[in-house]
Formats: sequence, structure tokens, C-alpha cells
Amino acid sequence: MTQLRRDPIVGRWVIVEVEKPWKPEDFAVAPHAYEEITRCPFCAGNERMTPPEITAVRPDTSAPDTPGWQVRVVPNKFPALQIEGELDRRGDGLYDRTNGIGAHEIIVETPEHAKDLPDLTYEEVRLVLETYAKRSADLQKDARFKYMMLFRNYGIAAGATLDHNHAQLIALPMIPKNVLEELDGSAAYFEYRERCIFCDILHQEKEDEERILEENDAFVAFCPYVSRFPFEIWILPKEHKDFFCRSTPQELEALARILKDTLTRMRRTLNDPAYNFIIHTSPNDGQEYPGYHWHIEIMPRISRIAGLEWGTGLYVVPTPPEVAAHYLKGTP
Amino acid sequence: MPELRRDPIIGRWVIIAVERARRPKGVRPNPPAASEKECPFCEGREATTPPEIFAIRKEGTAADTPGWQTRVVPSRTPFLKIEGKITHRGKGLYDVINGIGAHEIIVETPQHIENIADLDEAQIAKGITCWIDRFKDLVRDERFKYVQVYKNYGASSGGGTIRHTRSQLIATPITPKRIKEELRGAKRYFDYHERCIFCDIIRQELESKARVVADADGFVALAPYASRFPFETWILPKEHGCDFSGTSVENRLYFGRMIKKVLGKLRDGLEDPPYNFVLHTAPFRHPKAKAGYWKTIAEDYHWHLEIIPRLTPSAGFEWGTGFYICPVSPEEAAKYLREVEGP
Repeated sequence: MTQLRRDPIVGRWVIVEVEKPWKPEDFAVAPHAYEEITRCPFCAGNERMTPPEITAVRPDTSAPDTPGWQVRVVPNKFPALQIEGELDRRGDGLYDRTNGIGAHEIIVETPEHAKDLPDLTYEEVRLVLETYAKRSADLQKDARFKYMMLFRNYGIAAGATLDHNHAQLIALPMIPKNVLEELDGSAAYFEYRERCIFCDILHQEKEDEERILEENDAFVAFCPYVSRFPFEIWILPKEHKDFFCRSTPQELEALARILKDTLTRMRRTLNDPAYNFIIHTSPNDGQEYPGYHWHIEIMPRISRIAGLEWGTGLYVVPTPPEVAAHYLKGTP
Repeated sequence: MPELRRDPIIGRWVIIAVERARRPKGVRPNPPAASEKECPFCEGREATTPPEIFAIRKEGTAADTPGWQTRVVPSRTPFLKIEGKITHRGKGLYDVINGIGAHEIIVETPQHIENIADLDEAQIAKGITCWIDRFKDLVRDERFKYVQVYKNYGASSGGGTIRHTRSQLIATPITPKRIKEELRGAKRYFDYHERCIFCDIIRQELESKARVVADADGFVALAPYASRFPFETWILPKEHGCDFSGTSVENRLYFGRMIKKVLGKLRDGLEDPPYNFVLHTAPFRHPKAKAGYWKTIAEDYHWHLEIIPRLTPSAGFEWGTGFYICPVSPEEAAKYLREVEGP
């Protein structure tokens, strides 16, 4: 028997297989077969292969675009959006369009090839997170950009094209749809109850306990009750906060610990799966969103999205989140 | 310069990378096919499926024996189960329903053919008749709110290893999110304009022609203005109708012809790519539904078929944001597909 569960934030229903859940080994995890390249543009020593760096974590003695860095931010050579120009909104019959103004940056998280976040030390992960936050805060100064989308694609099945791991930051001239739905849903909840729905979810998850993976002084990692994907994981700050980029140094340090641990659990349980992670944060549109709570969503890409999912928004989840949490905690 | 476009129905923005337009290669990591001899959907192997629910078969032949042309059977691994009463309950701030519903397989030919584009239009129309028959039966079940017809073709689209063309249908006790958004968007447009947004789209597209893939009797195929995926194509009936199950016998044949034409163009022009298609139609309008809820649906909603070739892996950015980057503009895609001869 399956169960239908409704996401309380955006109202999405998902089908969860609760009777015969899939185990981690039931998913066919494809090996990461990247195209062979002779020189990696993100490795130390090859800095000339990228556009000039925007910023980097490097000792004061080393010059930009030379080796010696730990984290390096460069513009995407093939940007989805372009940084120069004014927004030009137009109608086209009954359609709306605008030119593609935005920023598209690459955050190279380590000078070493083929290392993922779990391979870095807590301190190295903290430097990466600090760079994410600094770049987001810097781009927020540009009033043309309404939303900072920070995400990572790891593995070919997740859309990565290079095996030198990196995050991407896209500054968008509008709020993307999924975030807008979360903002609307949490605002409706807040208006009625005067509470943040994410804070309420955290309370309920901590009471239920079975979906919690890890908790430290500032963050909780858990498999959400209404997951869309098997082994989906969310990381939420315990304190109600609207913007990721306003995290304190202490918070970034705590986040580095829980993020590295969580990704390590996922790698161990699912045999190094491809995954995406996305930071959901408040928009940069001058509005207040008192009911919104920033968080990270991690989605292993181990099951296929078939016609049903994309065509209707109805997801079939073969492993219930409580079972997934059980495996991820290493207690099967 | 890339362009951002907004879907006029549900409001989703997509990035159209107009200057990076290129024809993606059909990627198709094919796992080994299951042996044809063991195909449960071939004529003669009726005993390997659960008993049939419906079939178009030669007069005088018995159920679950050869002699059929199209056949509907329950899924052996259903997402939802047909027996039982629906129970709604709350779990803290969450809502839960037990997994009641129907999950059926429509086998579109007794022959071991993989792609529906390789059937003739009359045969495709028989599959369409099966969908309609199942709709008309399931609508009587008050537990259900929506019937979703869809197809996964090719292993990387979720089509599995059995290479025998079939579509699937699930009846759900809820209206899925995307459908609801579309219904709301269409109603909002109608409330203001007193016109169907889909009819307006068809009118504008037929006038500009830039995104029309094919225009034939009864149906039009177009690359939507705010396509999420390269070569995304919608097939719409030119005549307004909210409910797919009202399609006339003549229009079923025209619909079959258009499906064959579009999927044949994809097969020939894009190296036989995997694809999904999904039928969007009005939800069941049971008399006990909220008063006034469906008051204008007959006028504001327009059923259609959405086809997505699976050419690019959709990445985290897309899934996490609902904001898609489409590397081929719909104008390029439509032009390319128009020029592919197809079947």
C-alpha cells in the first residue's frame, strides 16, 4: 500500500511507497563517466583557462589568477544570463518576455581535481560557505537582481559536465517559481497563525525524531516528511532566519560541520550518488518575508523523473523518508 | 542575448538561450532489452498479465485470449490500489491519504513494436478510444478526482526494459499540482478576458506560424513560447473542449494522425530520442464538488497533450527553482521539426 502526503508549504501531493520501500541497493547508481579532458580549467595552475577571477580565498602574497588559492570565484564562460545591460520587459501578443540579464558565477571549491565537499576538512568547507555567502551578499547590492540561486550539481546524472567540483551562483531578475510558491505558502501560513511554517516543521520533526539525521547547535538535517525524491535531505537553521547570506561566522562553522557530515552519510549509504543541492533563501526585492526560513535542499539523483512527475507534479517516492533516514543514519 | 519568457498559463519563467540554439544529440543510454519472447504485452501471452479491464477485440473472442487490437490491464506494480475506502487524516501539520486509486496499462498493439509513431493512425486511434472508455468508466467512481494518461518511451524516460508500446493511466483521489496550477491560470485569464487562453494561444500561434510544428485537420502541434525543454511540443485540438473524453470518433482519428506525425518527426529528426507525453484534461466534476468551483471550466479550460523529448538531463537548478534553461529556442525547434519529413 502506498500513501499520499501533502506538502504543507506548496500543497504538492506525493505518492509514498510505505509497504515495500526500496532499499539503497535497489537504485541503480550509474558510475560517473565524464568526458576525458586533457586540462581541467578549474585545477591550480590552469587559472588562465577561465575568465579573470572575481574573488578568491588566497594568501595576500599570491596574485589573482595564479596558483595558491583555496576557493576561487570566476564568471561562467558560458553564462545562462548576461551581466551587462538594463532589464527590458516587453509583451509579445499575450506573452511576456524580458532580456536575460543576470549574473552567473562559478565557485571552484578546491584547487584539487575530483574532490567533493566530503573530502574537504570542516575548515575548508567553512571557507567555501563563507565564499557563497559573500558572493550572494555582494550581488544583492545590485537592484536588478531579485533572487540569488546558489546550487551544486554533482555527477553527470545531476547535470554536471566537469568532474572538478564547483557550485554555481545565478543572480536572477525575477523570483523563480518554486521559491515563489514557497514564499506564498509560508506567507499564507504566517498570516493565519503568526508562526513560521518551517519552524513548525522543525518542531514536529524533532518531536517525531525518526526522520532526523543530525542536529548541532545551529542546524538540523532531516529527510522531509513530504519528500519528492527518495533520500531527499533538508538542512534548516534552528533559529528563524530569512537570508542565507546573513549567517554569522558561528553559523557558517556549524553549517560546515553538518553539511560535510550529511553529504558523507549520503555518499556512504547510496554509493556515491549524483546529487543536486540548492540553497533556498529570501528574495532581494525589498519586501519582507517574515514567514520564510532559508534552508538547503539536497536531492540525490538516483531515480528517474518519468512522465508522471514532470507532467503533473505528482511524484512517486519509492523509499519513505523515515526509512531513508534510518539507512542514512547507518542503522538498518 | 538569452531571453526570459513567462508561461502565460501558470506564470513560470524560463530562460531561452536563443543564441546558443543548436540541435542536441539524441542521448540514449539503453539498458539491455528484455527478451521479446518474454514480453507480457504480446498477443498470445495474455495469461502473464492481470485479467484485462477492457479490450478492442474481434467479435467472438474471449477476454484474455488472442484476437485483440488494444488491451487495458491493471499494472502489476501499481502506485495506487483500487480497493478500499479513502481516509483523510492529519499528522501534525501534514495531510495524509491512503494510496487508493487506479493504475492501468493500455497496450496499444498486439505486435512487439516499441514506438507508437510506428503504428498506423487508425491503430493509434484505437488506443485513444481505450483512454476514453477508461475515463468514462472511472469518472463514475466518486473516490477519484483526476485521471492522468501518460507515456514513457525509452529507458531513460522511465520506459523500462520491455519494448512494447503502451501508455499508462492513473486515477487519483487528488488533483495533481501542475494540473491545478493550469486550471487556476486558465480560470484567471477567463475571468478577465472571457476567452479561453488556449484558444488565444492557438490563434496567435497560427497567425505568426513561427512556433507551429504541424497544422492539420482538427489539431495543431506547436513548440510552446515558454518551452521548458528543447523540442517540447504540445498538440491541441483546434476546437475548444475542456474534457478529452468528449472527443468524437472522427477527431480521435485526426488526433492519432497528429500524434503519429509529431512523434515520427521526433524519431526521424532527433535520432529516435526517449520521450514522455502527458494528457492534460479537466478533472472529474462530481456533483458534490464545491459549489461554483467548476462553473466556467467548460469555457476556460482546453485539453491538450504535452510531449517532452528527453534530450538533456534536467539539473538541480531547474528542479530546485522551477526555472528552466532551454538551450534551443521554440522557434528553432519548430522550424527544424517542420522541415523533418516524418511519416
